[in-house]
Amino acid sequence: MDLSLNDTQQLIQDSAKDFVRGACGRDVLLKLDRDPALVMSTLWKPMSELGWTGMAIPEQYGGTGNSLTDVAVLFEELGCGPVPGPLFSSAVLCARIVLEAASDAQKKAWLPKIAGGERVFALALTEQHYNWSGNGIRSYAKRDGSGYTLSGTKVFVHDALYATDLLVAARVDGAAQISLVRVDAKAAGVAVRALDGFINGLSEVVLNNVKVAADDVIANAWGPAERAMLAVTPVLCAYKVGSCKAVFDMSLTYARDRTQFGQIIGRFARVQDHLIHLVNYLDSARWTTYEALWKLDSGMDAASSCHVAKSVTSESYMRACDYAHEVHAGIGVSREYGLTLHTKMSRSLYHCLGAPKLHRKKLESVLGLVAG
Amino acid sequence: MNFAIEDSAEQGTFRKEARAFIEEIVPSTLEHMADPVDMSYEQYQIRRDIGRALGERGWLYPSMPKEYGGGDLSAENVAILHDEMTRIGLALPPYYDAGGRMGAPTILVWGTDEHKKRFLPPICKGLVRTWQLLSEPGAGSDLAGIKTTAIRDGNHYVVNGQKMYVGSSHGADQSWTIVVTDPKGERHKNLSWLMIPMDLPGITVTPMDLLATGGEGGSGCGVKNAVFFDNVRVPADNLVGGENNGWKVATTHLEVEHGGMGRLADRRAITDFINVCKEKHDGWAIADDPDAREEIVNLYIESEITKLFALRNHWLSHTNQPRSYEGSQYSLRRKLSGLDIGEKMVRIAGPLVLTKDKRWAPVNGAIEYFQRDSITALHPGATTDIQRVIMARRLGIGGREKEKAANLR
Repeated sequence: MDLSLNDTQQLIQDSAKDFVRGACGRDVLLKLDRDPALVMSTLWKPMSELGWTGMAIPEQYGGTGNSLTDVAVLFEELGCGPVPGPLFSSAVLCARIVLEAASDAQKKAWLPKIAGGERVFALALTEQHYNWSGNGIRSYAKRDGSGYTLSGTKVFVHDALYATDLLVAARVDGAAQISLVRVDAKAAGVAVRALDGFINGLSEVVLNNVKVAADDVIANAWGPAERAMLAVTPVLCAYKVGSCKAVFDMSLTYARDRTQFGQIIGRFARVQDHLIHLVNYLDSARWTTYEALWKLDSGMDAASSCHVAKSVTSESYMRACDYAHEVHAGIGVSREYGLTLHTKMSRSLYHCLGAPKLHRKKLESVLGLVAG
Repeated sequence: MNFAIEDSAEQGTFRKEARAFIEEIVPSTLEHMADPVDMSYEQYQIRRDIGRALGERGWLYPSMPKEYGGGDLSAENVAILHDEMTRIGLALPPYYDAGGRMGAPTILVWGTDEHKKRFLPPICKGLVRTWQLLSEPGAGSDLAGIKTTAIRDGNHYVVNGQKMYVGSSHGADQSWTIVVTDPKGERHKNLSWLMIPMDLPGITVTPMDLLATGGEGGSGCGVKNAVFFDNVRVPADNLVGGENNGWKVATTHLEVEHGGMGRLADRRAITDFINVCKEKHDGWAIADDPDAREEIVNLYIESEITKLFALRNHWLSHTNQPRSYEGSQYSLRRKLSGLDIGEKMVRIAGPLVLTKDKRWAPVNGAIEYFQRDSITALHPGATTDIQRVIMARRLGIGGREKEKAANLR
């Protein structure tokens, strides 16, 4: 038993901490929040140069083939920001889906470019009937000469506004099974529109008779894609662990500094209780996440742990922010202060890769409460 | 990271050795009861025999130093021993004993060489059973407000007072306690830590009628008692850590009691309950109801988090790492999630979890016992509110300085 980070992970943690402190100060994050168009020009080059775009990709495809725990350690630090951008979508989620589902030729064509940061992938899965279980997908591709034309409307797509390539879930030639289709985000007929509001990094993607080549189709991909999504779920969870940590630190500092009624508010038991709830959510998120990562990295059956981790961390991040707002009161909702960056992110990521409700539903099967 | 308790060939060999030895020393006459109150004197003695056999090998308190009868075992091997005992429905120690679990680490930190040589080997070898006596009628959460006095008289302390909610069924050989040695002294500076032989004249033990005891399964204590001291003369050299220094001494065993070590034995009733929900009777299972399934999954997630906190604390304490709020956090979590899980069971399965009737009760009444035990568990080792207070101090929420956790080794 050893719950500490190994030497490699320490190095990853240190360099990620430096990056978040240096390049992603509060002013920068606030600027990127106001103007998401600056995210790529500000963050992508340094992230690629640090090799982060290739960490989750095997060496044979141009990456460094790090363990999922290694990758998670990086994402925990990015979550502290919270640092926005498509690193998870492209270099972890889509890379893993391609690895699990695509042909050799597709892997060779796409993965090295993802690893080098030259291409940025995003997964366009969800539609009006919003869910992450592959139901209700209406997007379709029809045969057109040697290739296909793809049409449909995707909504609440994470990171599409930063992407050069979209992996679009669609039904091809009327097949019941879901396929994935790679689409150039600049291709004619593709319209990506960022969604405004209390939301971070989500877009609508309209596909109107977009021409795609046959070798851009990963046919009948849903099974492997679902496996890939579950395997990288704890990496996303680790991002939320870091976020919870940052929200806790911020609230602790505030409770120790803010004076009311002639004393620091941290002396009031009611305020202490908020922080205790917060640290309990943080640690629940942390240990369920890293147990799942350990199981994945050691080749064990990790399904139940992945479902538990996602269910716990999505709730934890949202609740952590709620408690932080109880501690901070007025200053907490001032955008300049920075807490609302997390609050918004905690809501925006709650459903990503499936909301807690979906993962709890899946646990029913894993625990043998229902057949199948 | 590695969350596995058994992770090397060497440890696999140790598990085999441990399992073989435990099988050898556990007689076929051992019986398990859902409620430790139902444990007969004969069954208690069987557990003491098992304890002595383990003690002879240094395996009763395996993380204690060898020179005092412990095993000096690694965190992994200690966990394996716990695991192997749990597998056959026992715990380590296999009976209630506050001597090794909390008394011994305290003596190790605060005792003189003479104390260590005199007190530790009988405890570690399972030759004596020890109670801890802390609460009093007027001192629960406010432990420093105790009234029991121990006044120096020549080579003795004369003890007068009353302790409550203490001990177990079937008596003890000795008890350690916190007593007032300076009735006029300043609060926290008037207390001492004293080991009292229980066969001294003037000690009366009266069982209390409680809902349950709130201890962990497997080593449950049966009953709790009121203990009365009437001019009990205790040898002065049984005082550990110095006169009027008892509050500092107490921080060590309170650290253990507040969950600093992490209990690896999970609450078996939870797994049992999930299995009960899957059982088909007349073609129908509780889990066939979708609402029930949703609650069962929530209950499972709750118990997984508690298990992971215990594992983390076990790793922190057995690898001697700095700890702060984690002991109290685990204790708070175990208490509250136990209560929550108990309630969920009632919602899911109704009166089935409330009966210990021989015909109807699942798993011989173990779940009915869990119902009572999880409510009782809210107070032993400090209430949920006290755990929150300790967490707040350790996290430094209310002040500039973060309070440090007490030393365990």
